[in-house]
Amino acid sequence: MQDYLDVMRQVLDHEVVDANNVPCGMVDDIEMECSPGKQLRVTAILIGPGAWADRLPRIVGKLAGKVFGRHKTRVPWSEISVITERIKLKSRASELGLGKADRKAGKWISKLPLS
Amino acid sequence: MKKFLEIFLGIMTAMGGFVEIGELTFMLNSGARFGFSLLWVVALGTAGIIVYCEMAGRVAAVTEQPVFNLIRERVGFNVGLVTLIAANLVNILTCAAEIGGVAIVWQLLSGWPYRWLVLLALLFFLIVVWFFSFHWIEKVFGLLGLLMVIFMITAIALKPDWTLVAQNFVPNIPRFESSQEYFVYAYFVVALISAVMLPYETYFYASGAIEDGWNPSDIKLNRIVVILGFILGSTLAVALLIIGAQAYLPRQLEPQLPGAATLGVAAVFGKWGMLIALGGMFFAFAGAAIETALSSAYNVAQFLGWPWGKYRPPKKAARFNFSWIIVFVLATLIIITGLDPISVVEYSIIFSVIILPLTYFPLLLIAGDKNVMGNFVNGRLANILGWFFLVVITLAALAAIPLMIITHGGKG
Repeated sequence: MQDYLDVMRQVLDHEVVDANNVPCGMVDDIEMECSPGKQLRVTAILIGPGAWADRLPRIVGKLAGKVFGRHKTRVPWSEISVITERIKLKSRASELGLGKADRKAGKWISKLPLS
Repeated sequence: MKKFLEIFLGIMTAMGGFVEIGELTFMLNSGARFGFSLLWVVALGTAGIIVYCEMAGRVAAVTEQPVFNLIRERVGFNVGLVTLIAANLVNILTCAAEIGGVAIVWQLLSGWPYRWLVLLALLFFLIVVWFFSFHWIEKVFGLLGLLMVIFMITAIALKPDWTLVAQNFVPNIPRFESSQEYFVYAYFVVALISAVMLPYETYFYASGAIEDGWNPSDIKLNRIVVILGFILGSTLAVALLIIGAQAYLPRQLEPQLPGAATLGVAAVFGKWGMLIALGGMFFAFAGAAIETALSSAYNVAQFLGWPWGKYRPPKKAARFNFSWIIVFVLATLIIITGLDPISVVEYSIIFSVIILPLTYFPLLLIAGDKNVMGNFVNGRLANILGWFFLVVITLAALAAIPLMIITHGGKG
């Protein structure tokens, strides 16, 4: 049994699902906090193009930001309920402001038959 | 009895869905140019796709994670993004070629204008994928693709020298007069490996396992379906190569159009044989078009963590559904310009081989990770074969573009 968490390997770039097991993004970046004399602490996971665009080479990241927008959602670390291959959250996606684009696109698509 | 039927249907679906337009073209051409001498490559590629699809199915059943989740997890965002873009470009090209292939089949049957048939094919695909379930699509197109068995019967009726056929399953390189011919042979080796191991098959297979709700109890089913289904499927590919060698090589003909495949059948079984062959080709090409479009949507959704799957109502996975619609439209725009589907598929197959290592390496890592896979981790055989095929496809990937340039796309 492992007694530590390797956030780069076990959290970053893993799928995030909400309390109902609905996918609501990937861990696009990790927020950490550190102050003199204190331990480095993970405070939140960041989800959205604004988070992943910053990880790309500068020019590509700028271009991605223009195409996909710069928004990112901050999910506090305390919102995480289980870490396995997936990161499961305690709340539903809509309560945390996740999955907005899908709900917007869903309104369009719901006008089609059998949607 | 129910389990037996499930396994039988799974095997038949895997067999019927094995051949698509690229494989059909390259198999016929390989036989027409090099006789039976490339049969060993078909066997090698089949073993490779069995090894990796088995792993993809097993990983999906255990972790409920499809390929592009794993790619991002294991190689990181930047390399994963490059793989995603390359994989989807190849998928769109392949989808375009399959749509063109469907339009050609319909044109041969109806005589209607090609471009109108391309648009009709787009409408057909949008309706089928929107209104029918994953299970229905998978089974209908896979099972009716079995009409391609007419090519196996034709290959037998053409009475090849079976000893010679068997001998060529052992790796061999024929003697040629010029170095250029050796390069063309090498180009065909790379193209055949890629045609048999097309990456979208793995993406689709793993995503399909999740669509069908597999869990660890399905691992045996996965193994049987992959091994038997793909071996039987590859016999269709072998039959096409034999037809190329028996019907075209002696006449120094090079079949350039997908419709040319039916001529060998027509020579043996007449008009009805040709109609069955065209029916088989339609279901095989249409099945592959749907698989490539859905694969692209699966890839994007899995990479970015969107809700995905045909099992979800479309409004609950809206961006996933928009994605496959966009892929069909883009593929149609490519092929309606008048680009030859065969040229498109040749490029897509050569570019496919380049992304094979990027697709299979993360899969091999996770399937061999005891912490993730528990008791279902790769055994010694799966690991040895996995690493062996990773070396093979990496060499093929490195050689693909230089060979394409040197041989002018295999034309010599």
